Amino acid sequence: MPVIAETKELTKRFGDTLAVDKLSFSIEEGDIYGFLGENGAGKSTTIRMLLGLIYPSEGTVYIKGTAFNNRKRHLLQHIGAIIERPDMYGYLSGWDNLRMFASMSDKHIPNARLHEVLEIVGLKGRETDKVRAYSQGMKQRLGIAIAMVHNPDLLILDEPTNGLDPQGIAEMRKLIMQLSKEHGKTILISSHLLHEIEQVASKILVIHKGRKMVEGKAAQLLNPGETLIEAETLPCEDIAAKIAPTQWQQFVQNIDPAGITFKMHPGQVPALNKWLVENGVQVLELRSKHSLEAYFLSLTHDTATPDRAI
Amino acid sequence: MIPLLRIELYKIFHRPRTYISFGIITAIALVIQLAMLADGKSFVGFALQAVSEQFDIKGNVLNGYLITYLILQTLLIHIPLLVALVAGDALAGEANIGTLRLLLTKPISRQGLVLVKFTASVIYAMLLLLWLAIVALGLSTLLFGTGDMINLKSDAFVMLLKDDILWRYLAAFAFAGLAMMCVAALALLLSVFADNSIGPIIGTMGIIIVLTIFSTLQLPIFDAISPYLFTTHMIGWKGFFDAPVPYDAIGRSALILLIYTFVFVAATIFVFNKKDILS
Amino acid sequence: MRRYMLSCVLVFISYCGNAQDASALFYKLRDKIQSVNDYIADVKIKIDVSFMKVPPLNGKLYFKSPDKMKLERKGGISILPKNSYNLTLNNLLPPGNVTVIDGGYDTVAHRRVHVVKVVPGNDTGDIVLTKICIDESNMLALHTETTTRDNGTINMDLQYGRYTGNALPDRVIFYINLKDYKLPKGVTMDYTGTDEDMMQKAKKGKTKKGRVQIDYLSYKINTGLTDDFFKEKKQ
Repeated sequence: MPVIAETKELTKRFGDTLAVDKLSFSIEEGDIYGFLGENGAGKSTTIRMLLGLIYPSEGTVYIKGTAFNNRKRHLLQHIGAIIERPDMYGYLSGWDNLRMFASMSDKHIPNARLHEVLEIVGLKGRETDKVRAYSQGMKQRLGIAIAMVHNPDLLILDEPTNGLDPQGIAEMRKLIMQLSKEHGKTILISSHLLHEIEQVASKILVIHKGRKMVEGKAAQLLNPGETLIEAETLPCEDIAAKIAPTQWQQFVQNIDPAGITFKMHPGQVPALNKWLVENGVQVLELRSKHSLEAYFLSLTHDTATPDRAI
Repeated sequence: MIPLLRIELYKIFHRPRTYISFGIITAIALVIQLAMLADGKSFVGFALQAVSEQFDIKGNVLNGYLITYLILQTLLIHIPLLVALVAGDALAGEANIGTLRLLLTKPISRQGLVLVKFTASVIYAMLLLLWLAIVALGLSTLLFGTGDMINLKSDAFVMLLKDDILWRYLAAFAFAGLAMMCVAALALLLSVFADNSIGPIIGTMGIIIVLTIFSTLQLPIFDAISPYLFTTHMIGWKGFFDAPVPYDAIGRSALILLIYTFVFVAATIFVFNKKDILS
Repeated sequence: MRRYMLSCVLVFISYCGNAQDASALFYKLRDKIQSVNDYIADVKIKIDVSFMKVPPLNGKLYFKSPDKMKLERKGGISILPKNSYNLTLNNLLPPGNVTVIDGGYDTVAHRRVHVVKVVPGNDTGDIVLTKICIDESNMLALHTETTTRDNGTINMDLQYGRYTGNALPDRVIFYINLKDYKLPKGVTMDYTGTDEDMMQKAKKGKTKKGRVQIDYLSYKINTGLTDDFFKEKKQ
């Protein structure tokens, strides 16, 4: 698949702070590229560098194979973006906002296209309302309409579910899938929440403190052979002694009086459950955690090493 | 460029706050006109005190032309604030409401955006002046009639004949436009550094007030720098009400204002081109 | 007291000279001038005072003997030096009985003139002494110097042409003393630009001499103006 956007050794320093550190990745046509990292990991800075809002200290952004800089702003024609909050002109109507940003495009965009994108994002009928009267979800939708009105190849959606209620999040997810499947858009979606990314992304990049941690196909990252199983139990003092001589000992990652963590294939979980109950361990809950989540969580404890291959 | 300018003007004139400025101008002009209707004679008596000891001045001194001059004298201190309200908001205001980053994800050049913002601010300033001309000159001459005009300077008493005045106002408004252009450029420059519009607006006013004090105070240390301050030249419109009109000085003032404007806009483009958009 | 002494000295001197001639000359001139009871004149006034930048003013000057005067400028602003008796000869000639002193002969504008000095009979007016240079052949006053109580000395030059018979001048130039004029710069917020001349001018003090020239373009004599005409609403 052709590469739409690519970064090479992208680095950004704010004074002494290293915000993004030699980050290289590429987004191919058709990807829903999940960009995962904690708040402050450097996601927004990277996205802003992709869009020319922030200038890299080192490294290069390529859009459709051409090195992007301030003199090549026409390349932005290939990208549509919403960054962080979907801020617009509240005193203007949704339609006025959309038409205004549409007319900044290199090409003429007919009104029919504006109606079309409003239909796609589900704002038809509300376009004459002032934006200040919109809900957060409607603003996000209008933001997406503005981002895609000029029919770009790549849509960059920075934290698109921020501030949305659960229903709004579900609708946004549906919209993203629809944009990818029905409208053939390549999408870069960033989030600090794994479960949002894992439900839509075809590729995932995890960054931490500005550095690449993991990059790979979502299917591989999310369905590894083994997963972490957390068993929450009532306090059981001799549980370690009970497990030690059994076959389960090889899977144990951690034991404390309130629970045990195993690393095993999910298919073995029913047998483990049976053994625990038979041996008098009162199980409250068995939770499965796939390794990416565990890995992602471990980042917050600063134990991760960069560029770990999965 | 033109569609972008249209968008900019559309934004400016769809914002209720834009019209506050026009309201303020109308209010101040009306207050001065009403005050003059009520108590203009004693004002004229007071103003002419220094001359009327030695000369008999009779006739319609308190006419529309004089009142327009008084309104301009008062308002041209305030109009920079009104211009700064829009020009200072041009970039910082977009940063504040978060639309700047959205604007700059569009394939428009940053330099183009600055020029469009500047042009839109200047158009707004010109419309303010036009409105001022209508309410000050139009309404005053309607209320008080026209006539010969007396202009009191600190060291001279200038009288202009009725038929020799209108062109002076046209020229004065054109010159004031130049001065406001310079103010707009300054506010825009300050706007590029801030992420909310209060800073640039107050900053612009602060600079103008402080420099005006430098320009006006007759202290030797200020005398040395005052020819180089743009505030000294902003009141060049008054030159058109002198006799004879000091064209050389006005021309020089206009040139200095143009140079300042150019430098401010160029600096804005330079800084904005280099700036990381973090808002 | 000073004035009394001055009068005594002048009276003494006058006895030594040809006082009779001078007195007769003065009364004859006064009679000629007073034969014009009123007039309406088209005038052009040039005020040449350092601090007054006033263009030449065209207007109608109305006069009625002995001291009524009014300038009208078609709705425009009229500016005249405060004491309008400066403006015409009539007002400079003291009425009633006067003491006339012969001042001998002099030359004014290449013409031989007889100089007479006139002290008003009553001493309540502002005029203390008037020196008049009279062209005896045409019976015209060509120059006057009037010493006033409150307004210093006023000099006046008169040029005649078309109205010689009525002793009405075509041009009057008079010189007045003025107090300086200055308003605080902070109030007027003057524009001085970078014009060195303007800046210099703004700083240096002003001379206090003024010159007013009135060109009489035409006269309508004895039209029967009434006193009421001169009553104006106070501006």
